[in-house]
Amino acid sequence: MLQILASRGDLVLLRDSVEWEGRSLLKALIREVALKGEQVQVLGCEVSEEVFREGLDSDTNSRLVYHDVFRDPQGWTGNWGPLGILRACLRGAEPGPCTLAVDSLSWLLLHAPCSALCQTLRALGHDNSHPGRVRVLGLLHEDVHGPGPLGALRSLAQIEVTVGGNLGFTTAQVFHPKPRHRSIEQTYWFSILPNFSLEFHKETLLEPRPHRGPQSPTVDAMADLTFNVHLSKKEREARDTLALPFHFSSEKQQSLLHPALASSTSQIFYEPDADDYLDQEDPDDDLDI
Amino acid sequence: MAALTTGSFLRKVSVPGSGAAGGGGARLRSIAGTRPSVQNGQLLVSAGLPALDQLLGGGLAVGTLLLIEEDKYNIYSSLIFKYFLAEGIVCGHTLLVASAKEDPGDILQELPEPLHDDNYKKVLDEGRSHKSQEEPEISMKIAWRYQNLPQMEAGPGTSSRFGHYYDVSKRMSQEVIQSAKWHKFFLPEEITSYANVESCALNHGYTKLLHFIQRVISEQGFDGSNPQKKQKNILRIGIQSLGSPLWGDDICCADTPEHMHSLTRFLYVLRGLLRMSLSACIITVPSHLIQNKAVTSRIRNLSDTVVGLESFIGSEKEANSLYKDYHGLIHIHQIPRLNSLICDVSDTKDLAFKLQRKVFTIEWVQDNYLRQERNIYPPGFSYLLKQKDSAWGEGSLQHSTFLMSFLAKTTAFASRLVRHCEPLKQTGSGGIRQTAEPGMWHDGRRQRAPGLLGIAT
Repeated sequence: MLQILASRGDLVLLRDSVEWEGRSLLKALIREVALKGEQVQVLGCEVSEEVFREGLDSDTNSRLVYHDVFRDPQGWTGNWGPLGILRACLRGAEPGPCTLAVDSLSWLLLHAPCSALCQTLRALGHDNSHPGRVRVLGLLHEDVHGPGPLGALRSLAQIEVTVGGNLGFTTAQVFHPKPRHRSIEQTYWFSILPNFSLEFHKETLLEPRPHRGPQSPTVDAMADLTFNVHLSKKEREARDTLALPFHFSSEKQQSLLHPALASSTSQIFYEPDADDYLDQEDPDDDLDI
Repeated sequence: MAALTTGSFLRKVSVPGSGAAGGGGARLRSIAGTRPSVQNGQLLVSAGLPALDQLLGGGLAVGTLLLIEEDKYNIYSSLIFKYFLAEGIVCGHTLLVASAKEDPGDILQELPEPLHDDNYKKVLDEGRSHKSQEEPEISMKIAWRYQNLPQMEAGPGTSSRFGHYYDVSKRMSQEVIQSAKWHKFFLPEEITSYANVESCALNHGYTKLLHFIQRVISEQGFDGSNPQKKQKNILRIGIQSLGSPLWGDDICCADTPEHMHSLTRFLYVLRGLLRMSLSACIITVPSHLIQNKAVTSRIRNLSDTVVGLESFIGSEKEANSLYKDYHGLIHIHQIPRLNSLICDVSDTKDLAFKLQRKVFTIEWVQDNYLRQERNIYPPGFSYLLKQKDSAWGEGSLQHSTFLMSFLAKTTAFASRLVRHCEPLKQTGSGGIRQTAEPGMWHDGRRQRAPGLLGIAT
């Protein structure tokens, strides 16, 4: 799964909800990154440092640089608010590829204006001291926010991971929009072990939760019709040989040019009606031509 | 717009060769990359996509604002943005690029490469040959006049240097980009301190951007204040993702934003700047994020031309077989009525776009002559007709009986409304008898036909 998340300069949103929490997935991802030897900066806002470090092995813990906001959420001890600390996270970091995990973007959204947070996140992703090599993993509780801030953060993020779960297995739907029908959308089934390593399972174990609602892959409008839409071969041949009435074919031309030949076939039959008034006088008689 | 009207008048006057005498505005040659509109004589510039130009009535008028409502992940709207800028470089216009997300220099590096005429025909034919392998051409026996309807965009030969064609898979060469004259506004560089220095009227970032645009216009002489000895030129302004949280504006984030009028005031002032200078502006706005519909409609009213993009990525429409060839829909929400009472472009279109490997094409959904005549056929019928070996093809009994019954039903409905009205009272000699037509009925009440004497009902 980490291959998808391997690209740099990206904001990866981990969206969890009341039904299934995402912090364990965040910690599992941090562990995977740390095992590769990278340093991980963590901004912890929602839980204390001890609770966060719990369960992670000592290797990982040694590579975690923890910036604690939980201890002092209002920023009374220092001059910086939570956004200031977010910005300062990368200042002390060693040069090279860097990962920043934000324990929760929801907490920051509730304590800072959304536009300022978006600007800060963008500035972090494009930090000059780490050109193009910063990856931000943000945890977002989607139940807490309205569609506005959620939409704003989703438009800023390159990759969205929606965490869900079913019967003891965790699912992560990874969505990476790209043009021309090439967007990557994949669901991973795994379980998170107590030491925060990931164990992947096959998808066919359980039926997947519908992403776009119940919809068949192709909407077939031709099904269940009460009339006939398609032609059989014989019918098609018969239709092709049909002479259209207003085509000026050679037969029609002949009949027009030689009316004498056709006069025997076309005759006009007239039966005078009782109400008809037949004037015996011809009004054209008065004309003097 | 005095400069423009004099320009269009003067262009027709033949000027005797005055050589080196060249005073200020006595001789106005036509500006490269522009042409007068055939409908109202307005000076037009191309938007970069000839298909889009055709939909907008020939092009984008100089001094107006083109608003693009972004699609959900801002993939295709940024492409149209780049087409606009690339057209400016190819025509030799000056560019002003403003963005809060990407550095404008990076945006310019990603512009598509212009194609020459013979290359474009090859690229188009590649695209068409793919299509024709899937569906064989149905030759029409009855409606044979519709057989050879022209495609949406005319070929390069007929557009005569107004719009250019681009190859999206390649980048514009560095020499061409270096030779272009452009100004850049990158918000994180302009605002270095994060303190809230907001004036109550307008967002800090917007104020700075407006000052910057005004400075460029007046210093470079686009508004005629600095009479140029050399050729007049057009300034193309491109502002990316205006209104997004990265500009410091919160109309996209909150249901009841604090500074709701920031963006609308910005657009108002910007339009004033545009009207008094030789410039054209494109703005992309992520209006799918704006929760308040009143704000969206205000933004649309304050712009001149509004085009909305809706992409199928991640939406349920992707599975719909009607849309399987396309990548999204284009909605033309508004076209300006400049110096006229009506705009000449019809607004009943179902347009879809697709991004092929090299070109971006816009087409009517199910480019079928029946779809265009949608006041005759109901929407589902053309889908039936397009099926292979359909029994409902033209000339079949089903087709003609359907037509007769459908048309009878529509006229019967209209005549039912007429029969229940009061008989007309005649005034005067009764020479002109007002006949009722279905078209006169709007909202269930008959309106008077224009031009006749008022007849009381």
